[in-house]
Amino acid sequence: VVTPKNVLLLCEKPSVAQHIASALDENGKPQRRLISRVPYYVAQRDSRRLVIVPALGHLYTVAPKIADRNVYPVFEFEWVPRYEAERNAGETRAWIEVISKLSQEAEEFVLATDYDIEGATLGYTILKYACGGKDQNAKRMKFSTLTTNELRKSYAEIISRIEFPTIEAGVCRHFLDALYGINLSRAMTVAAKKWSGRYATLSTGRVQGPTLKFLVDREKRINSFVPTPFWSIKASVEIDGSVFEVEYEKDMTDTRDEAEAVVNDCIGKKGKIADVEVKKLQQKPPVPFDFSGLQAEAYGLFRYTPRRTGDIAQRLYLEALISYPRTSSQKLPPAINSRAILESLSHKPRYTKLAEHLLSQEKLVPNEGKKQDQAHPAIYPTGNLPEKSLGGPERRLWDLIVGRFMATFGKPALKQGVKVSIEMNGHLFFLRGRQVLREGWMVFYKPYLRTDEVLLPRLEKGQEIGFKDIAVKDRFTKPPARYNPVSLLKKMENEGIGTKATRAGIIETLYSRGYVSGERASVSELGFDVTNVLERYCPEVISVSFTRELEENMEEIQSGNEKMDNVIDKAISRLKPVLSDLKNNQDMVGQDLSEALRKARMHQRIVGDCPECGIGKLVILYSRRTGKRFLGCTGFFKGLCKASFPLPQKGAVTSAQRTCPTCGYPMIQLRMKGKRPWIFCFRLDCPSKEKNKQ
Amino acid sequence: MNCMVCGRKTESKFCDLHMGAYKSLLKSYEAWKRAMRVSWAEYLARVQNNEFAGLWVKEVVRYLLTSGSLEEPDCEIEL
Repeated sequence: VVTPKNVLLLCEKPSVAQHIASALDENGKPQRRLISRVPYYVAQRDSRRLVIVPALGHLYTVAPKIADRNVYPVFEFEWVPRYEAERNAGETRAWIEVISKLSQEAEEFVLATDYDIEGATLGYTILKYACGGKDQNAKRMKFSTLTTNELRKSYAEIISRIEFPTIEAGVCRHFLDALYGINLSRAMTVAAKKWSGRYATLSTGRVQGPTLKFLVDREKRINSFVPTPFWSIKASVEIDGSVFEVEYEKDMTDTRDEAEAVVNDCIGKKGKIADVEVKKLQQKPPVPFDFSGLQAEAYGLFRYTPRRTGDIAQRLYLEALISYPRTSSQKLPPAINSRAILESLSHKPRYTKLAEHLLSQEKLVPNEGKKQDQAHPAIYPTGNLPEKSLGGPERRLWDLIVGRFMATFGKPALKQGVKVSIEMNGHLFFLRGRQVLREGWMVFYKPYLRTDEVLLPRLEKGQEIGFKDIAVKDRFTKPPARYNPVSLLKKMENEGIGTKATRAGIIETLYSRGYVSGERASVSELGFDVTNVLERYCPEVISVSFTRELEENMEEIQSGNEKMDNVIDKAISRLKPVLSDLKNNQDMVGQDLSEALRKARMHQRIVGDCPECGIGKLVILYSRRTGKRFLGCTGFFKGLCKASFPLPQKGAVTSAQRTCPTCGYPMIQLRMKGKRPWIFCFRLDCPSKEKNKQ
Repeated sequence: MNCMVCGRKTESKFCDLHMGAYKSLLKSYEAWKRAMRVSWAEYLARVQNNEFAGLWVKEVVRYLLTSGSLEEPDCEIEL
């Protein structure tokens, strides 16, 4: 009897382990086992015993050798188990112990985590620290989907080594993030605590600082914006009983007199068509989705934040319905076998006709974009159909991905634009029409298209046109728009800071720290003040160019042209004087930040304008005598207003940012553990409450 | 000294943020004067009620209106 040899396959998550085990087991029925509530699978293949064990995301993290949070600067860091460095990471202990135990019974190691920088780094740390230095002789599975065929092919064509340059770049990123994040955040937190005696978490980081600076710069432009007046002509014409808007030859006039003169010249007169210009243009199909393209489209169509889209796409990937989503590629190589995917999709009634339409084409050539990714192709449906019905968000995103995939193989659409020039008493007006002549790829992407066709009747040169309406419109220039989660993500991408996997998380941190709020990101006073302090005492930390330079260095490490030690040494040499400056100015930094925190706390307590005096603000106050909280007007301290209202004594009370529809008083939101937030009018004699009583 | 609008520490009448808004207010007045022939006081009142005017601009305008600074300023003045 020959004892089967154990091969340990390490994956990122339990659901991936299950897919891999099912795909690789010769009978498709691997055994599921548990040790200390940690699941793993045993499969048989080629007379070998495969032990497929999942991780739980990162099991190790970079931590400073000096754990005391009041000490900085710290330049020595090490990888430690997450349960040692982080709160709420206790369960990682069992996973490390189980992986460590299973590794002792294995003689071959295969890394089967996501084929990207984070997947490689995560696997490397586990192989090195939990499996006793097995990183050097581990093999690598490379796959972009969790379909059975691709997983088997990946195992058959296993790579003999793990990708060390990528891992070095990943390790470097973790060290740099810790170096900057921990030192700068400690410097700020310690300064504020020493000055005010109160602890509050203040943070910044290598990417977080410059990202907040983008928002602050935009907010400054918006808050300092003074609109200037201009005027435009609003006119419409009536042709065969239909009304069409026309544009005046000049978009705007600088004075009202000028605009009024045009209206006076044209009012009550008939115009004549001076020219009819017809242009036909072909519109190519859209390119396949890369990660940021999918995030932008899902935000535009469904208002999903980039983080949410990322989470939904990850779930679809784990269900083997789509390929790996965190890709920069806009290419669909022939190896994915688009024909087979379409054949499979055609079994779903919703896609039958569309897929058959494409399959009838002799060649399937996608309209690819320019962006490339060495590790993965663009996002595409695997062809697997959902085994159970998908939830709303998953169904929507999957349908969008299928629609985009099919559209990229479609024929160009043919559109026609018509520009009719109408001459009226020496002035020119333009009437524009738009029409789709041949839908082409648009057939596949119909639910997601925003078309605005304007169909014009037949018009000829010399034809007389009567104006239905013409008037001067008072207008003002508008401030620049605030960033939304997607435009901010695009800005980060264009500036070359962060990675496709980390950007959405960094934006979320800005929100959770209270630096930014609202869907249209508006910067809080705390956000302004933190940026102001960093700008004054360590401008390099929020400099985009420095952050970008480090990103480029990490790309060089990945391509084998730079060494991690050099990049870290360079970062330390630039960080040392910054931290020294912060330490020398600790009192002033502490004073500025404490004041900013005090204002932020005060701002959180403001519920709205006082409706009784109209001058002060209603704030949450605490009675010195009883310790109970209530709402009082800030005018009380100046002897101007005595308005006060009782508040519930349990739960967290904040402003609801809206007024009572019945009485117009500001409303409050009460949050209690395990209950949904309750928004209500705090006024006891509000007429709405009378109605409820009756 | 402290900013006349928000109380932040500053070396002039306004903090950096409100000074930026005040400069923007001065700069745009020329365009308003040319387009609408309005006085400084009228201009301030119109900006105050304009939905597109920035928050800090409105705060500066409120300060100017309540402090009685309704004389047309000399744009060259050093604050």
